[in-house]
Amino acid sequence: MGRPGTESHGTTRGDAARTGASSPVVIEARGVTAGYENRRAKTRLIALREVSLDIRRGEFLAIVGPSGCGKSTFINMIAGFLKPLQGEVLVDGEPVRGTGADRAMVFQDYALLPWRTVERNVRFAMENRGSRPSKAEQDERIAEALGLVGLTGFEKSYPHELSGGMRQRVGIARALVTKPAILLMDEPFGAVDAMTREAMQAEFERIIAQTQQTVVFITHSIDEAVMLGDRVAVISNRPGRIKELVEVDLPRPRLDSDVKSSPRFAELREHIWSLLQDEALGAKAAG
Amino acid sequence: MSTPTANSPMTNTAVGPSPRLSADKVTEELRVSRFAPFRNTVITILNLTIFFTIWELIARAELVNPLFFPKITDTFAAIWNGFADGVIGPELQHSVTNLMIGLLISAAIGIPVGLFMGASRTADLILSPYVWAMTSLPRVALIPLLIIILGFGNEMLLTIIVLSAVFPIMVNCMAGVKTVDPSLLRAGQVFGAGRLQMYTKVILPFTLPFVVSGINQGIARGLVGMLIGELLGGGGKGLGFLLDRAGDRFDSPMLYGVLILLAVMSVGLIQSMRWLEGRVAPWREQRG
Repeated sequence: MGRPGTESHGTTRGDAARTGASSPVVIEARGVTAGYENRRAKTRLIALREVSLDIRRGEFLAIVGPSGCGKSTFINMIAGFLKPLQGEVLVDGEPVRGTGADRAMVFQDYALLPWRTVERNVRFAMENRGSRPSKAEQDERIAEALGLVGLTGFEKSYPHELSGGMRQRVGIARALVTKPAILLMDEPFGAVDAMTREAMQAEFERIIAQTQQTVVFITHSIDEAVMLGDRVAVISNRPGRIKELVEVDLPRPRLDSDVKSSPRFAELREHIWSLLQDEALGAKAAG
Repeated sequence: MSTPTANSPMTNTAVGPSPRLSADKVTEELRVSRFAPFRNTVITILNLTIFFTIWELIARAELVNPLFFPKITDTFAAIWNGFADGVIGPELQHSVTNLMIGLLISAAIGIPVGLFMGASRTADLILSPYVWAMTSLPRVALIPLLIIILGFGNEMLLTIIVLSAVFPIMVNCMAGVKTVDPSLLRAGQVFGAGRLQMYTKVILPFTLPFVVSGINQGIARGLVGMLIGELLGGGGKGLGFLLDRAGDRFDSPMLYGVLILLAVMSVGLIQSMRWLEGRVAPWREQRG
């Protein structure tokens, strides 16, 4: 993802106002209950219960919560892998029916095709749907996406030749290459080491400032949620509900500045931490 | 880096890189002996030479009855003369041709059926009892029945080879399809792969190494099938027949000679499949 700090940052994402009521709602969850069936045990596990949430265009929504709280379930419904048992998930006002070109996803385990080179992995995002760009345009877009994530020169490498962080850059380039309106990220930096993780957060913040995409970002890390999110949705224990939507009123760009040492950052972090701590204690008492 | 001393690590840059190393190079050439690539070959040749020498010495000392344990020189002579007199050549050709045809038929049946079983739960449910029964049934047990049905000809031999090789191929292909990484399937969905694209771009490439290792197992099993067919089928042809006849004549050098040929043949086949396995799925070896 290039060298952080050498490029100019987008200004529009620099303030909290862009997530204000002026932007239209892109993703809308209305009373969504979702779960998984366990046919052997003849049970149904309810992962999320009656979740309602609006996500606005260009917003960066971070979702944090204890393990198994249904964060992934929520993002999977937006992606179109899973249907809600009750309620609706709307994207651009339409109920989600399967996956679509307007939504791309970055997976925790990268989900790259190991037999394809970096370049061909990125191309995969453009070669399946009916409206396929011309070969020349594909090449151009691949070069652009790989440049954005700092992988220029690695076109011909195979994923197994790359480090975890670099593999995830490929995953991000693949998601960015079609310029989808919505970027769904399921703990994308969860499997990379701490140093790489911070670098990638900074670079990702810069990329999103440029592309202005709507991002739904799942994470285990409160720091990551506060650093990246315009809002942080704190999800309760299973069955997951939205415990609180925390507005993050920190100036951008955050990763390249001292935001992390600001008192406001500590305050927000502390607040979310206490919300989650209740959940952890609650889980202990219940279980 | 050029040998930094332990107590002054900071002088690294002052000392500077060795003349052959430019400062910003990531990969540097290693000095490797010119003979390094042949090291394994040399060891293998030495190893075999010692093995055969000891064999020869034991045989010459007649520590074991020469009938059970002929001299290795006699054994190699038997192979040499066998080829020169046209005793081994046609039988070897017969066996290899049968094995190859049998493996081709097995692959042609086993791969599509295995893929289908992997893809369709219903097909798996219906077919798997038979597949597993046939996989576990000792092949020898089928010979009398096959002789009744097919007689002593080539059809019987091919059938036993196919029955031996087809099931491991089938089971491996099925396993390949079933173990496709679920997140790759999700990635396929997210990036718009339809049913056909999912198969051609995700499931089949993922399954390819499984197909190769299925064929690998098929070769090993097919070779056994071939031999028991030739030994018990009484067709009067093939390496199995040579073994049988050499046994009847107490011709132990020839017996050992055919065994060596069989070993060379199966090792050759399996090694070439291993090589192919590495070629079709280079990522599998380096998986962390």
